[in-house]
Amino acid sequence: MDLDWTDEQQMIIDMTRSMLEEYSTSEVVRSQEDDPRGYPDALWKQMSELGLNGLLIPESHGGGGQTLLEGALVYEELGRAMAPTPHFVSSVMSAGVLLAAGSDAQKNEWLVRIANGDAILTPAWLEPERGCGEAGVALSAEKDGGDYILNGRKRSVAFASSAARLIVLARSDAGVDLFLVDPNSKGVVRKQLLSQGREAQYQVDFDGVRVGAGDRIGAAGSGWTTWSDVMHQGIILLAAQAIGGANRCLEETVEFSKERIQFDKPLGAFQALAHYMADASTEIDGGRVLVHEAAWNHAAGRSIARLAPMAKLFCCETYRETTRICAQIWGGVAFTIEYDQQMFFRRAKQLQLSWWDTPFLEELIAADVLDN
Amino acid sequence: MNFDFSPEEQKFADEVEAWLVENHDPVVMDHHRENFTQLSDTPERRAFMKKLAAKNWLGMSWPKQYGGQEIEGVYEYILNEALSKHAAPQIGKGIGIIGKTLIRHGNEKLKKEFLPKILSAEVEFAVGYSEPQAGSDAANMQLKAEKVDGGWKLNGQKMWTTSAHFADWYWLGARTDPDKPKHDGLSLFLIPMDHPGLEIQSLPTIGKDTTNQVFFEDVFVPDDYLVGKRGKGFQMISEALDLERFTLFTLSPISNRSEVLVDWVKKAKRDDKPLKDDANVRRMIAHIMTDTAVAKGLSTRFVCAAKSGGKPPTIESSQYKLFTTTLSQRVCKDALDIQGHEGTIMEGQDDAPILGRFEGAYRATMNETVGGGSSEIQKNIIARRHLGLPKNF
Repeated sequence: MDLDWTDEQQMIIDMTRSMLEEYSTSEVVRSQEDDPRGYPDALWKQMSELGLNGLLIPESHGGGGQTLLEGALVYEELGRAMAPTPHFVSSVMSAGVLLAAGSDAQKNEWLVRIANGDAILTPAWLEPERGCGEAGVALSAEKDGGDYILNGRKRSVAFASSAARLIVLARSDAGVDLFLVDPNSKGVVRKQLLSQGREAQYQVDFDGVRVGAGDRIGAAGSGWTTWSDVMHQGIILLAAQAIGGANRCLEETVEFSKERIQFDKPLGAFQALAHYMADASTEIDGGRVLVHEAAWNHAAGRSIARLAPMAKLFCCETYRETTRICAQIWGGVAFTIEYDQQMFFRRAKQLQLSWWDTPFLEELIAADVLDN
Repeated sequence: MNFDFSPEEQKFADEVEAWLVENHDPVVMDHHRENFTQLSDTPERRAFMKKLAAKNWLGMSWPKQYGGQEIEGVYEYILNEALSKHAAPQIGKGIGIIGKTLIRHGNEKLKKEFLPKILSAEVEFAVGYSEPQAGSDAANMQLKAEKVDGGWKLNGQKMWTTSAHFADWYWLGARTDPDKPKHDGLSLFLIPMDHPGLEIQSLPTIGKDTTNQVFFEDVFVPDDYLVGKRGKGFQMISEALDLERFTLFTLSPISNRSEVLVDWVKKAKRDDKPLKDDANVRRMIAHIMTDTAVAKGLSTRFVCAAKSGGKPPTIESSQYKLFTTTLSQRVCKDALDIQGHEGTIMEGQDDAPILGRFEGAYRATMNETVGGGSSEIQKNIIARRHLGLPKNF
């Protein structure tokens, strides 16, 4: 057993952090909130140049061929910097789906471009009044000769305004299918919906959108299996992102508590507040090991069916709770736009509810423990 | 990064596991005693400890010149986790704090007298630090040690000495230098537990074991039985805790409890329906299993820090103790909530669910967040040493 990084892994951490300190400052993060595009060119370009956008894509497709463990290191840094990037939707989820189930033609068309940041792809998955499980996918894909016709509405489609393709989860007669859809196709309408985390999120309507059979990803009816598999990998990275955000939020709060004087003492000298911070640090440090264990297991070819949802469940709640107790320490200023604390506070809750939410993760774990 | 044991460590873990299965003894290994089987005063337990000694599993990390094997502390961690997984007694304080302190600081007479007996499991110790006025404030011991001709005369009282009623020797701190600052006026002593002037009074608990208070009236201790340097008692106590991070509170009893609960939930019915289909129960199980995985992560963290051989993993072990003892209690609480009214049927009766395992565990684990440094003390340590917050409490 050892929890040490290799020199190469430490280099990835250092390189990512120093780049983000320059390209994802508080000013940059604030400038992207509610922005229809939602990410700055300079940051995205840097990420491409450092190989981060292709980090998890095999070398044969122009990527770095790294494992989820390296991915987790990068995601802790992205979370720490609250970096506004379409990396997760494009380089993790879309690339992951293509790698898992895409045809050679689909892979060849998109993976290199995703890896070098030239193309952004994003999944269109969630729907109004529907949950985040397989049964939640209702947007209809009706066969019409060799084509499919898509009808329905998608929500929480991040960075849809920049997407070269949407990866649409739809219900066909075979079950759930995944389709590559050009968002400029006839019948696709994108409308920005502001979100708590202020990421560029879109509602996308599909009104009789025609898609060729060649744009289906994987065998008919295999869409949910593919999606679920890639999600299990993705949520480990989101758990790492949550740990990064929580840790920086706590670090800034600890420093503040050493300087802010009330009743002639620094706030950190009050046991009630010090114990909040001790609790948060314990959960952050424990959650981080769980993330690394999940990522390491995946890299070692072992099952992550239980560890992945555990990691996201625990780390997202840790992030949320950390931002809550930190707000108690900052006092009223945490409630103001001027201070950065509110940015962590909103993102923590957004991250917890996004992708797979708490009840869904609980049920994934319970099913693995009780029903197998 | 690697979450597996090394091949050598795994081989040892497998060997211990196989040996424990082969040497299963229901009297010694009683899961209903949670992680307190080492507190049983039975001939069977003493015999079991001798078997561990015969396997050369006691004192593995000790220097060779004192009968040890000088192998990494992680093997003692593996051994203790395996022992507690089977609800067998753990290797304990003789090998740990007492033996290691004697090796580093004891005089030759004490080393010769005690170290071989510790390795052969022929001596049982009780540890006396706490007093009525020295709980979390451990350095505030007041038990008086007065210098007399040829030794020391002890008067006062100790609290919470769990093994006093069956131990052979008493390892305790007393105030030899009342005029010095409180951390510099304490010394460590060894006294036979049946010494005249020692009176042991049982303090029954809501767990399965009694604890004791011990009264001292003019108890004479020869000079040779003052351990290490006079006035360095508190420093030796702190150092021993740092040396002993590998044999801390074990996780296996909690993992075992979670598994027992899961097995029960899988089979139980309520209102003719499988209990496992109840959404609330599923949610509670998901959180118990998740938090148990986090506790394992925190344990991995301190084991790795201890293995690295740098500074003692004080922060890591405080975080582990804080999180794990809290979880330990919560597993019991949630289990009773899941069992509902049947959960209240007291342990030891056949009609109780799982023979009342959780009714008993709910009581037995109450003290885990208090003993061995309360949760609040752990948070103070984390706040000061990890976060660098001002030392003002």
